[in-house]
Amino acid sequence: MNVKRRTLLKTAALATVGSVMPGCRQHVDHLIPYLLPDDEIIPGVDDWYASVCNECVARCGVLVRTREGRAKKLEGNPDHPVNHGKLCVKGQASLQSLYNPDRLRHPFQREGPRGEGTFIPLEWEEGLRRCTQAFQNISEPPMMVTRPVSGTLARLLSDFMDSIGGRLYFYAPDAELPLHAAWHESMGSDASPFYDLAHADYLLSFGAPFLEHWLSPVAMGIAFGHMRQGRTTVRGRYIHIEPRMSVTAVNADQWIPIRPGTEGMLALGIGQLILDTPLSALAGKVLDRFRGFYGTVRLDEVESATGVARDVIARLAHDFASARAPLAIGGGAACSHTNGTISLIAINGLNALVTSMGRESVARGLRQDETRLERSIPWLTEQMVFELVEKQKEVDARPALLLYGCNPLFTMPPSVPIKALFERASFVVSFGSFLDESSEYADLLLPDRDMLESWGDHVAESTTQTIGLSQPVVTPLYDTKQIGDTILDLSRRLDLGYVQAPTFYDLLRERWKTFLADKPHDETADWFESAWIASLQQGGWWQGPSRRALPVNFAPSREFEQAVFFGEEHEYPFVLHPYPSMALGHGEGANRPWLQELPDTLTTVVWGSCVEVNPKTARDLGIAQGDVVRVTSPFGSLTASVVLFPGIRPDVVAMPLGQGHASYGRYAKNRGVNPAELLAPALDTVTGTLAAGATRVRIEQTGLKGRLAMLERPTVEESNLITIKPH
Amino acid sequence: MSEEKKTHKWEMVIDLDRCTGCEACVVACHAENNVRISGEDEAAQGRAINWIRIERYWEGEYPDVRTRFMPVLCQHCDDAPCEPVCPVYASYHTPEGLNAQVYNRCIGVRYCGNNCPYTARQFNWFDPHWDEPLAEQLNPDVTVRQNGIMEKCTFCVQRIRQGKERAEKEGRPVRDGDITPACVQTCPTSALVFGDRRDPDSRVSKLARQDRAFHLLESVGTHPAVTYLKRLT
Repeated sequence: MNVKRRTLLKTAALATVGSVMPGCRQHVDHLIPYLLPDDEIIPGVDDWYASVCNECVARCGVLVRTREGRAKKLEGNPDHPVNHGKLCVKGQASLQSLYNPDRLRHPFQREGPRGEGTFIPLEWEEGLRRCTQAFQNISEPPMMVTRPVSGTLARLLSDFMDSIGGRLYFYAPDAELPLHAAWHESMGSDASPFYDLAHADYLLSFGAPFLEHWLSPVAMGIAFGHMRQGRTTVRGRYIHIEPRMSVTAVNADQWIPIRPGTEGMLALGIGQLILDTPLSALAGKVLDRFRGFYGTVRLDEVESATGVARDVIARLAHDFASARAPLAIGGGAACSHTNGTISLIAINGLNALVTSMGRESVARGLRQDETRLERSIPWLTEQMVFELVEKQKEVDARPALLLYGCNPLFTMPPSVPIKALFERASFVVSFGSFLDESSEYADLLLPDRDMLESWGDHVAESTTQTIGLSQPVVTPLYDTKQIGDTILDLSRRLDLGYVQAPTFYDLLRERWKTFLADKPHDETADWFESAWIASLQQGGWWQGPSRRALPVNFAPSREFEQAVFFGEEHEYPFVLHPYPSMALGHGEGANRPWLQELPDTLTTVVWGSCVEVNPKTARDLGIAQGDVVRVTSPFGSLTASVVLFPGIRPDVVAMPLGQGHASYGRYAKNRGVNPAELLAPALDTVTGTLAAGATRVRIEQTGLKGRLAMLERPTVEESNLITIKPH
Repeated sequence: MSEEKKTHKWEMVIDLDRCTGCEACVVACHAENNVRISGEDEAAQGRAINWIRIERYWEGEYPDVRTRFMPVLCQHCDDAPCEPVCPVYASYHTPEGLNAQVYNRCIGVRYCGNNCPYTARQFNWFDPHWDEPLAEQLNPDVTVRQNGIMEKCTFCVQRIRQGKERAEKEGRPVRDGDITPACVQTCPTSALVFGDRRDPDSRVSKLARQDRAFHLLESVGTHPAVTYLKRLT
């Protein structure tokens, strides 16, 4: 049976009487006669399709409930090894990407000056022709910046850029590059980090927001539930170390408010104390390398730098070393400093240390079963932006810029010359589904389809090898084209000849045919058809047995260094702690009304921004809840309302990221402020990614009261239902 | 089988030692139950509608500050204060223990909301509005509530019905875990558990018998169908 993409889409579009079997429907039974319902038709029978969540790199498996060809709800795929049927807020809200009223409905071309955001609609044929022409006219190699992709799309984009001599970059503001770099040094392998939270009995987290948006938050949430209450005799203890009490930190048994940027120092102190115990003497020479690294600071220095008392450090070291399955994780705030990677080496090194002392480790590297192409694709770090702009200016290069699935003009601070990269580009084409700050700079918009209208495969990081398969579950709403098909079309027009497949769907099937051919299957002539259908119904392919962990080898190549902050302390007394909002992330969720209206768990603020200030600091400055303050850094200034936040150090102020869009549709535009505008161009010394926590600020009263829409004790505003007339 | 045995008593257990405040339940509920998008203005006036919300309590002062989360939804009380005050019987108790709201009886006097000690009931001050095509997502199994109507959590009664119909079609009793409201279905940490309290072996029954169990505002005597399990630290 040949299930073509069109057939499938038709099937999805037409309501059918069928079972609630998840997967791909193969035939149409009946159409619903809209006027006279057939006796056979049971109203309210759903079709469920398996697919993959597109909201973050975790790539959870989803089942999409559809009725009469419309997607109604997303639920986790219970069989999926990553999320076991569960989903997070972003996954649940991704339907509002599909049905977003501000989606681009067809191609556009720029009309006014670049960056002004005025576009006129275009036919696809014309759009593709213009794009082809632009590539033919440019002698310089173009560059493409995309969100991290994997599988067939990664291969296609990479081959396309290679064949036109261009360069492909990944960009994501939450790429956690320091974590991967640190893992390489503290565990001695290139494997992906995997933390077996579920089986830990003592968890030491240095700023890792693992229950919000870190690595694979749903998988982490499941594991956390198990760590706490999933075992009959053990309830895992959890200590969180961070200058601000995040939603994740709230769940800890103890929160230790550490001075920003000194998380690595504390890890050094803990490591040192563990190395001083008699237990470590038994381990002998193996620990010499640890001694060299962890012995570089004195304990009293650790105490004064971190602001954590000696006896607390001693207790942490004792508890960590004596736990049966201790686990140290670091990320988020701990790696958003200039010494981010080095701090993480010290933190992850604690796992290597206890492993070397004969403990079974729950921090493991996942062995890669096959070489994954996307690992070789460079990241567009902030440092890379500086270098590229410099280089382009030197040789007066003006390459074309292709943009997909990311919004660097919003997520990178203005102090990083990302705008210059856009302004210098001879031609900018965006494949995004929405008009945002970055795509407003485009000359041509060739909008991609939504995930729920697209084919694709996605590799997920999991203990089992997992490749999710996504399929169109609804008829495409608008005149859009999947990026894979756009690239294939452009390749044909440019006569690149590296690929033969007529559509992305064919390419995907070709690759899966090769992939599944190695796996056990029946030897019939049409084995692939049944294997393909089975994979679609299941939502992808995953293997049963767990992947083997790699042996650890602590091999730090550099010494510890201190974090550097931008702005003089006497002028800018507070360290700014910008954190990705749990719902809006770095801003990508801001155009979903469900997420805008979702109260921030801790501040309960909806539809806006705020500055979190410790009540003591507020008292000293004479600031009250709801006052509008001006937050000024050496690089920028903005105003926002104050929320008194008891869970933050008095010398730190925090602001959620995600709001402050100047574009990105009706729900996001002109709402709140973007703290990225304040950030210094501080870089992690190892990876060159932005050190978002390295900027100092001052706060000043404006004398104004702001509007804070909150779930908790909403400000009672004058009703717009009743007008009270003065006598 | 006697009539008595056939009925269920739907209850929920919320393990506060598992709840991380991730709010996946909140969005899942909005998606499942066509909960309106209120917008900033209505939210600022305290009129945003959430059938389930995460209440957050600060305890102590910096640096010894602690926070507790409490997911709060309609407690489906056995002795529900909202029921006797409704002049039109819009708020009533189903034989399966649900505290139901009949929207087309409701005349919007808001006595029920006034009498609910959990602030679980919310009033529609406006007709709901979805910018096109957001309305395509609406769940066809759930009524959209208009201006002047009181609404609240139903324990996803439509999903309970679907679960029972499926079991009936397959000629078997409803199994434990067959029926999950949207919030329970998505909860990553499995802090929320739903089931039949009449079945002594159901997960919900077993958990509700734990030492950590308590009810919200127990002294009010509402006998809620939602049991909380205390957080250990």
